[in-house]
Amino acid sequence: MHRVGGQVARAAARATQQQRTMAAAAPAAPKKVEVFIDGKKLLCDPGMTILQACLLVGVEIPRFCYHDRLSIAGNCRMCLVEVEKSIKPVASCAMPVMNGMKVKTDSDFVKKAREGVMEFLLTNHPLDCPICDQGGECDLQDQAMTHGSDRGRLQSRYDGKRAVEDKNIGPLVKTVMTRCIQCTRCVRFANEVADFPDFGTTGRGSDMQIGTYVEKFFASELSGNIIDICPVGALTNKQYAFTARPWETRKTESVDVMDAAGSNIVLTHRTGELLRVIPKINDDINEEWIGDQSRFAIDALKVQRLLTPFVRGADGQLKPASWEEALFTVAAKMRETPAELKAAVVGGLTDVETMVALKDLFNRFNSENVMTEEEYPETSGGADLRSNYTFNDTISAVESSDALLLVGTNPRFEAPTINARIRKTFLYSDIQIGVIGAQTNLTYEYDYLGSTSKAIDDLLAGKGDFAKTLSNAKNPMIIVGAEALQGEGGAAVLAKLQQLSTKLSKDKNSKVLNVLQRWAGMTGALDIGYKAGTASLRKKPIKFLYLVGADEGKISRSNLDPQAFVVYQGHHGEKGAELADVILPGAAYTEKEGTYVNTEGRSQRGYPAVSPPGEARTDWKIVRAVSEVAGKTLPYNEIKELRARMSEIAPHLVRYRDFEPSSFSKQALELAQTGSSSEKELVPKQRDLPDYYQTNVISRNSQLMAATKRAALDARENPYMEPAVTQAAARA
Amino acid sequence: MLRTSILRAIQAGKCVRMASSGGKDLPATRYHEAKRVEVDEILEKTPEKTPVKVSADETMDISGVPLEHIETRTARIFKPAKEATQTPWGNTLAWRIELDNRQRWENPLMGWSSTGDPLSNISMNMKFASKEDAVAFCEKNRWDYDIEEPNARQIKPKNYGQNYSWNKRSRIGTK
Amino acid sequence: MSLASSVMRMQMPRVTNLVAKRGGATGLMVHRDTKENNLNTKFKFSEDNEKRIKAILANYPEGHKVAALIPLLDLAQRQHGWLPITAMHEVARILEVPRMRAYEVATFYTMFNRQPVGKYFLQVCATTPCMLRGAETITETIEKKLGIHAGESTADGLFTLAEVECLGACVNAPMVQINDDYYEDLTPKDMEKIIDELKAGKQPMKGPYSGRLAAEPFGGLTSLKEKPTGPGYGLQAALK
Repeated sequence: MHRVGGQVARAAARATQQQRTMAAAAPAAPKKVEVFIDGKKLLCDPGMTILQACLLVGVEIPRFCYHDRLSIAGNCRMCLVEVEKSIKPVASCAMPVMNGMKVKTDSDFVKKAREGVMEFLLTNHPLDCPICDQGGECDLQDQAMTHGSDRGRLQSRYDGKRAVEDKNIGPLVKTVMTRCIQCTRCVRFANEVADFPDFGTTGRGSDMQIGTYVEKFFASELSGNIIDICPVGALTNKQYAFTARPWETRKTESVDVMDAAGSNIVLTHRTGELLRVIPKINDDINEEWIGDQSRFAIDALKVQRLLTPFVRGADGQLKPASWEEALFTVAAKMRETPAELKAAVVGGLTDVETMVALKDLFNRFNSENVMTEEEYPETSGGADLRSNYTFNDTISAVESSDALLLVGTNPRFEAPTINARIRKTFLYSDIQIGVIGAQTNLTYEYDYLGSTSKAIDDLLAGKGDFAKTLSNAKNPMIIVGAEALQGEGGAAVLAKLQQLSTKLSKDKNSKVLNVLQRWAGMTGALDIGYKAGTASLRKKPIKFLYLVGADEGKISRSNLDPQAFVVYQGHHGEKGAELADVILPGAAYTEKEGTYVNTEGRSQRGYPAVSPPGEARTDWKIVRAVSEVAGKTLPYNEIKELRARMSEIAPHLVRYRDFEPSSFSKQALELAQTGSSSEKELVPKQRDLPDYYQTNVISRNSQLMAATKRAALDARENPYMEPAVTQAAARA
Repeated sequence: MLRTSILRAIQAGKCVRMASSGGKDLPATRYHEAKRVEVDEILEKTPEKTPVKVSADETMDISGVPLEHIETRTARIFKPAKEATQTPWGNTLAWRIELDNRQRWENPLMGWSSTGDPLSNISMNMKFASKEDAVAFCEKNRWDYDIEEPNARQIKPKNYGQNYSWNKRSRIGTK
Repeated sequence: MSLASSVMRMQMPRVTNLVAKRGGATGLMVHRDTKENNLNTKFKFSEDNEKRIKAILANYPEGHKVAALIPLLDLAQRQHGWLPITAMHEVARILEVPRMRAYEVATFYTMFNRQPVGKYFLQVCATTPCMLRGAETITETIEKKLGIHAGESTADGLFTLAEVECLGACVNAPMVQINDDYYEDLTPKDMEKIIDELKAGKQPMKGPYSGRLAAEPFGGLTSLKEKPTGPGYGLQAALK
């Protein structure tokens, strides 16, 4: 597809110039159109479809192929309505409203039409609802009940029903293609949102099939979403297969932690067991999609968990212990170690509550030595000014941006939902995108500007075509990956980007510079004053180290005092736990109430769906317990009290779901030190699809994610896979 | 209520079948002898309801609900999200209350799910037409509450022609 | 249910595979590697066809090369006799579209043969008018003569037989299409003759075998026999 887009884009660029000049001449004032829906008068925007107009007055039109976030197909015919003066019923999903149109959505004529459509759909649909995973949440089932007839005229005695062989599209999505009603939602999703053009329709008439023609892996980080959009049981969740019915389950609305976008999710659980994750619509963040990691990595929450506290015995072996023993051991060590030799490191999945409690605890011991495992530049204003580490312009602003520069990031794998929005903007507007970093398939076309920070210098100097594009843009945006700012020269990159964004900013409200963090807990940690990175740890031989979910292996025993005492609090026995002298089992994100600040700086609340397994406890309560045993009791017993404390530190932390704009970007510029002029490599680590699946402690422990990664690796060897043509090459 | 009043009507000799012209006190046995009587004539007048004013405080004082289910609970007032797996928005119309999650565990005897929370089901069974109703309910039960406004549904105009636009990237050859 | 209809139902054989049989060469809607059709199947456009491709592409505006998908697939099929998957890949590469777009088009149109067909591809029309005029006997004749059934090819790779839906020559029923040509008004004898001639490497007569011209009536013209009237026929005198 992208290559088709390539040709079109060039033509589009020329046309845009003309359009812009024309638009300047005559600003179009959209005149509202008067429509009558079931006798109710409605004024709506021209260009809307009848179906959308009906939604405005709360009339839900039955439909299969139409989806709010996909292009209009108009092939299921379920949305037929009666329009006065039209002899035939009208497909409301594709028909634009016209002035004075009188629509009837519930007349006998419409009912008969829908019943007829339903009968046709059911002629070839198997009657296997009892063994179908979609049963209970199936659009076809529901609409057959409300709009269908109680009998069909199919002569199955002579023809039989159509049967289609199932397709193997990887370890995530199960297909039962006989159930397919050819709404083509998945095909449109694959081509429009996921940019997996290998998905399509083959054959014609009743032989038509959905699939890839040649068996191949659905190579996309968003593939799980086709399960949700499928209105029947043709595409279902392999992980959730034959597990539960929707009416048996409880649903908990929560927040995802697999990336820093903070996608909204709904956790489905039954009898204290987490069953699946589905997205929750939030137009500000994830629209209606979530990445495959967010959806499928949950099987890891049942394996390799820390179930009881452990204490390292005299023989050097970790032995299960009681909470008392563990807490007293930790508290004793904590008391006896001098303040300057204590340190705490939090991992990227930690909630704000825990981090606040931990920081308070260390402050009580006169230590400010709390830091994040993830690095972030401290110089150039770095983590002190909020505009330096958040996605200042909001995720949804991508849609109104007309020039976008990606620096050292691969949003496709660092935040799939944000990337989906960039692709959407790419398709439906004339946005120009430039990339400094890796030349990979980002699902949209871009100008490749180079792999090092020299490209930023060029842009600052106004060299090159893209520099012109940026400076001419009305709403330019720069997205820089947190990874690009790490290590030597990272601060300089940040400083240069600050200069560039100040130069480009046309509007006081637009900051231009946006930082895409990699970890769900990072923005929150910086908001409450954690030091970024573990560099300061190495300056002094630390004797008491408190790790909370720090599993990325950034710290090893060699960084510490030989006699150092390490406490690990977390949910999985991995790299962090290996170091530890005492292990305190904590809760995963599905098991605790927690606040997460996403990369925009928007704080969101997650809710517990299930209880922590075994002896594991909610993290902030563990810290609170340590404080009590150590004799420095923290003044909060309830989460309410802890949140009151959070609001003292930073009020936005408890203003849930609101976007908190950052100020002081001017001061940030003053503090900016371009420093060394040396070139910094800006190629992100995650480049290809296999790099996506296992990036944090949860997904690393997921067997399903491992299997999917293997499938993605194997897919590279599949000669039928679409040849990898880099966008820039196609463009050149 | 209805049943008892009919019974009482029969006892009082006001029975339908009694109202015939034949044998004085004998009940009418033939259909054509029966006289049609409206239900209202049989039923006694329902006494007018006199609302008893009970302030929320008093109710909970005498309700016998253990304190741990009154003052310590936090309710979340929200409209459920649209089911991502389904098209219609019907389930997003009513407001709901969900209380903070208490521990659930597997019953060691039968393997069923147990919970220490008698109120864990209210989000599934109670619907409120407005958030004010939900707030009133929480206040009556003396729960703390957070109101979570739903994400507004955005309806952006789109049209079929985009699939075929001549020079836009929205033209994707999938159909 | 009346007695008659229930009896009829009992006698009616259950036909489940009708579509597949009718589909003939259309076949599966998914690809499976076979001996003849796999990624190693050699396909390259000949030099002549490269020129043709250029001419075809010139018909379409910039950015809309995909419009040339059907002509190019057809060209590939004409060159190779049928359409191997490598040919679809080649077409997709030339047009800069994902391969799936080529698969979609090639599977949608029944005139693209995605399995090998013989040098002569016999497509017998079996839709109602032809059937009423004896299409079945034509099929039988071919089957007997060549020893193949619908959907099969002869061992020498010369002939492939398919039963297809209406080819639009109902007036001249029954008829058979062999490669690009129609052979109409057939009798079993004519059919045998055609096959014999093809086997001998000769080009049989195309068109109706009944001796009439195109779709004219058998017994000579019944209407439009007079000389065609000139312009102005039937006009009011005032307008003349």
